[in-house]
Amino acid sequence: MVATGPGGGLAARRAVGRWAWRLFVREWRQQLLVLALIVVAVAATVVGAAAAANAPAPVDGTFGTAQDLASFQGGDPHLSAGIAALEHRFGAVDVIENETLAVPGTVSTYFLRAQDPRGPYGRPMLSLLSGHYPAGAGQVALTPALASELHLHIGDLWRQGPMTRRVVGLVENPQSLLDEFALVPPGQVPAPNTVTVLFDGQPVPARAIGSNVQGRAPANTNAFNPETISLAGLTVGMILIALVAVGGFTVLAQRRLRSLGMLASLGATDKNVSFVVRANGVVVGVAGALLGTAVGILLWFAYRPRLESSSHHVIGLWALPWLVVVLAMVLAVLSTYFAASRPARAVTRIPVVTALSGRPAPPRKVHRSAVPGIVCMVIAFFFLSWAGSQAHTGGGMKEVVLGLVALLPGVILLAPFCLSALAWLGRRAPVAVRLALRDLARYRARSGSALAAISIGVLIAVIIVIVASVRYANALDYAGPNLASNQLILYTPTGPGYTPPCPPGVCPKAPTGDQVQAMGTKAHAVASALGAQHVVELESMSASLSRNAPGRNWNGSIYVATPALLHAFGIRASAVSPAADILSMRPGLATLSNMHLDWCNQFAAPQNVDGKIFQNPCTTGGTSTPVIQQVGSLPSGVSAPNTVITEQAVQKLGLESQLQVAGWLIETAHPLTASQISNARLAASSAGMTLETKNDQPTSAQVVNWATVFGIALALAILAMSVGLIRAETAGDLRTLAATGAGSRTRRTLTAATAGGLGFLGALLGTVAGYVGVIGFLRSNSLEGGISALGNVPVRNLLLILVGTPLAATAVGWLLAGREPAVMAHQPIE
Amino acid sequence: MSVRHALLGLLSEGPKYGHQLRQEFEARTGEVWPLNVGQVYTTLQRLERDGLVASDDAEAEGPQKDFRITAQGQEELDRWLRTPPDLTSPPRDELVIKVLVAVQLPGVDVREVLQVHRRYLVELMQQWTRLKEDEAEFDLALALVVDAELFRLDSVIRWLDAADGRLKRADAEPAAAGAPPPVLRRRLAVRR
Amino acid sequence: MSFLELRDVSRVYGEGANEVHALQNVNLAVERGSLVAVMGPSGSGKSTLLTIAGSLEEPTSGEVLIDGRSLSNMSHNDKARLRRRTVGYVFQDFNLLAGLTAAENVSLPLELDGTGARKARDAAMAVLDELGLVDRAGHYPDQLSGGERQRVAIARAIVGERHLVLADEPSGALDSANGEAVMRMLLTACKGGVAAVVVTHDAQLASWAERVVFLRDGRVVDQTVPPPSPESLLEPSVQP
Repeated sequence: MVATGPGGGLAARRAVGRWAWRLFVREWRQQLLVLALIVVAVAATVVGAAAAANAPAPVDGTFGTAQDLASFQGGDPHLSAGIAALEHRFGAVDVIENETLAVPGTVSTYFLRAQDPRGPYGRPMLSLLSGHYPAGAGQVALTPALASELHLHIGDLWRQGPMTRRVVGLVENPQSLLDEFALVPPGQVPAPNTVTVLFDGQPVPARAIGSNVQGRAPANTNAFNPETISLAGLTVGMILIALVAVGGFTVLAQRRLRSLGMLASLGATDKNVSFVVRANGVVVGVAGALLGTAVGILLWFAYRPRLESSSHHVIGLWALPWLVVVLAMVLAVLSTYFAASRPARAVTRIPVVTALSGRPAPPRKVHRSAVPGIVCMVIAFFFLSWAGSQAHTGGGMKEVVLGLVALLPGVILLAPFCLSALAWLGRRAPVAVRLALRDLARYRARSGSALAAISIGVLIAVIIVIVASVRYANALDYAGPNLASNQLILYTPTGPGYTPPCPPGVCPKAPTGDQVQAMGTKAHAVASALGAQHVVELESMSASLSRNAPGRNWNGSIYVATPALLHAFGIRASAVSPAADILSMRPGLATLSNMHLDWCNQFAAPQNVDGKIFQNPCTTGGTSTPVIQQVGSLPSGVSAPNTVITEQAVQKLGLESQLQVAGWLIETAHPLTASQISNARLAASSAGMTLETKNDQPTSAQVVNWATVFGIALALAILAMSVGLIRAETAGDLRTLAATGAGSRTRRTLTAATAGGLGFLGALLGTVAGYVGVIGFLRSNSLEGGISALGNVPVRNLLLILVGTPLAATAVGWLLAGREPAVMAHQPIE
Repeated sequence: MSVRHALLGLLSEGPKYGHQLRQEFEARTGEVWPLNVGQVYTTLQRLERDGLVASDDAEAEGPQKDFRITAQGQEELDRWLRTPPDLTSPPRDELVIKVLVAVQLPGVDVREVLQVHRRYLVELMQQWTRLKEDEAEFDLALALVVDAELFRLDSVIRWLDAADGRLKRADAEPAAAGAPPPVLRRRLAVRR
Repeated sequence: MSFLELRDVSRVYGEGANEVHALQNVNLAVERGSLVAVMGPSGSGKSTLLTIAGSLEEPTSGEVLIDGRSLSNMSHNDKARLRRRTVGYVFQDFNLLAGLTAAENVSLPLELDGTGARKARDAAMAVLDELGLVDRAGHYPDQLSGGERQRVAIARAIVGERHLVLADEPSGALDSANGEAVMRMLLTACKGGVAAVVVTHDAQLASWAERVVFLRDGRVVDQTVPPPSPESLLEPSVQP
């Protein structure tokens, strides 16, 4: 016989592993739960990360593969000299000429574009859908949308002005599907408005090459990118799954106790025995990871076309964040491995003789003391307090993470204590309830981890509810959706955020009066094309609100409350107090103390120091305490005129000369459609305006309600899975109860009490832990207004979680327990 | 074992001589029950007297005499095969009596007495089992006889074990042992 | 020299008022080639004796020697190795691992000890062949009858070069014919040089052994003397 290490080496592992694998194949149904959880988590991560990573428009849409981009006006006399200079200095350049043309009879515009499909940098910006690229003067290729707008097909003749061209192909800019153009060979655009030159100016900084040169934006190096966020989500998800899995693997190990004892009696070492349980965990993890990835990729295939159309650029079939996919799989395997480790270790601690007898092992003593859990909570509280006190400097991120990391073990460690406390409280309850609660306390090893999982689910929901409501309730740093779905704003180039005067080349050129006039006409044309109800001219001036107190500060634009604006929102002049300086719909703004209105009548000329521009210090201006009146009917959007300065205040402060048209707010009767928005955007850009429409920012109520629903659903899902596990183990009790005459009513009560007890404790523990965390964070957080900000928390939602979760759990438990469990009929063969 | 009925059984196969009957009897019972010639003839005479067997020649004596079964004898054999042996009243078992006496006598370790008998019985069983191990594989009759003997001895050992258990419990609860239930005593007395 | 020797072995469970003496000063020696039965009613400590003899449990006091080596000096892993290489167990009813075929069950101890899969399988097939179970080699335990399961368990207990078989009521749930087959098999193994201990409450089972040791309340109270030749049974004097 080959003498190997004490464990029998590889051969032993193989033999034991083979057995574990066969057991998994035979009993995979009993592990379906954990398997399903992992599949869902991994699949969701794959799809989520892929969608999040692919949704933002790629920089390649304007730069191609170039690092720098120089733009010239079409009529620039130095155009060819400039291009030649760039070519001389940096080698190859790619010249793209654009002429803006209008689609006849519409406000839509498109570009007649001259670009070389084989250009050194612009290649990724073109792709041929059918036909071929235009080769000579008489040929053109169109984007599909433009072809249909012009009613042209491949082979048709296209008359445009004096030119006649034959359509030879369909093309698109895969990086930006909204880009509509007619492609002709280089040099075939007679009168370009703009000429873009792509080149690689590295390592010379773009600004140093020329004022008309832009550098490519650096790749996203922010730590909070879609990949890390989806991985963080997955990590928390996997902790939850691991907690549920601990219960599952414990039950499984218990069920195989005799076999494991047998294995030990055959001379398997402790390592071999625990390897069986661990191998089982790994097998489940690997199966779940593979299946989850496969499901995720399939879902991604199905979802990709929709994402393409909503994000307006072509997304590769395999453009998955592979690192995230691999990490997700690794994480899945690791979490099941660790979930199986605890039962694996526990199994080796059971004496072989006890294991062999197959008697249900006495419930493992799980510490009952609340002290370690409370210690963790306290640590979390202080970490979060510390983080809160640094919040106003923008720091404390590390402490937030540490605090949350301490909060989770706090919940996990407190769970067993809560269970014994509940059993103690229920000691006078009717027998079925008492039995259910006592079993929960007796088998704390698995009910404890289930409770922890439920609590963490609730904890996440509670933190989201509280933080979102605190954040949204901040009147100064106002948060929420930017506009309503039936609103859009056309901005002049000097729109919000523009502070005059700017040096040329740095800030956009302020439009002249005539240009503003022209934009106004265009805006009204857009509005009538959309069938708008109101077009409100938004006027801005150099005034801003601030608060002379620590915390978040003013965020948003102040427009002038012109009679037209007030009329558009149905505010009668009589409703405005003659003393009011500021009208605002932001709740609570009017009651804030220490508010200041700062304004500037005159700016100094900008200073240029060593090539750096220092912006316009104010030379004449002032500060006053404004009279703020709350007017609820002003629009609530963050970008909408939710806070306006009265004309009377403008006069009082002498700001009339500062007034500027910032843009036009257009409001339609119905929500805007995607094609309306796309047409309006083209029209706006052709007139030099930018456009803002409703973004995806949810409202406070949406966030809070979704978090509530999420928390309850997650808790119920975990409950549904773990109650089955916990009760399956006590099926023997059920049989005994049935033998003593207990009917389905007792069975229902038993399951309902188990589910309800877990649900109640989970909701309570999660809410308490959530409040511990949030109070810690807000206590010394001047940014969010300290502890008083908790006054805005929607009690209704928290009550829904606290009461709804146990009620729903009890009801579901009652309903589902009616059927006789299969376990009663026969015990599985070992 | 009824030799009478065993001989009837052998004769039901056909007429046989006396010494032939003896040989076949021993062979059929796995040679476990040796039978002497005298016993065979005494029994045959009685059977003849009762009209259950008949001999061809009343004059001939000894091993040469040929016997055959009568119709009445065939009837008797059929009846006997289906009549349960008398198991209703306990046999006057010597071992039971010894143990009962031991219980009455002061200063005797009854459980030790039980063990002596148990060991003897197990040793006996070992011998029977050895027999089975050695030869019984192909000899059905011997195997049946050995099994019967083993089950009988086994039942006695079980009784000893039960008695042991009873005594142990009685030792643990001396008060109860001092006054056994009167009903039980009366019934036992009647049976004896 | 005895292959298995128990010297003054005692085992106490519980503490204080709950103290239970499962075994008290038990001495037992079993040579290779002999089958010893330990007989006693339930609760007499016979299972404890077996688990202690097989290193699954530690005695409270006393010493166990297997092949001259004392178990008390052995580490956990050494004991595991001893069980892989020297000791084979047969339990009453639960012996085979579901999920492994009969042959895989038999080869398991060898594989646990590091023997290659092919070699272990060959050895297992050889033992199954010896016991007439070759046609059952590919069956899973739930496809085998109770008697077959028990015989496969014996095959596993003697596979490799193991010299000590410990059987705990090996025919517990079987009918007498299957019980007999199991005992015959053990006896055959003993003739091949194995030392075997069978604990049972069943006298018929115990009577297969050369020596029967009587266990009462954790003590060895008596044992049979080697029986005389079975021929003595056939003497007329025995006949009542």
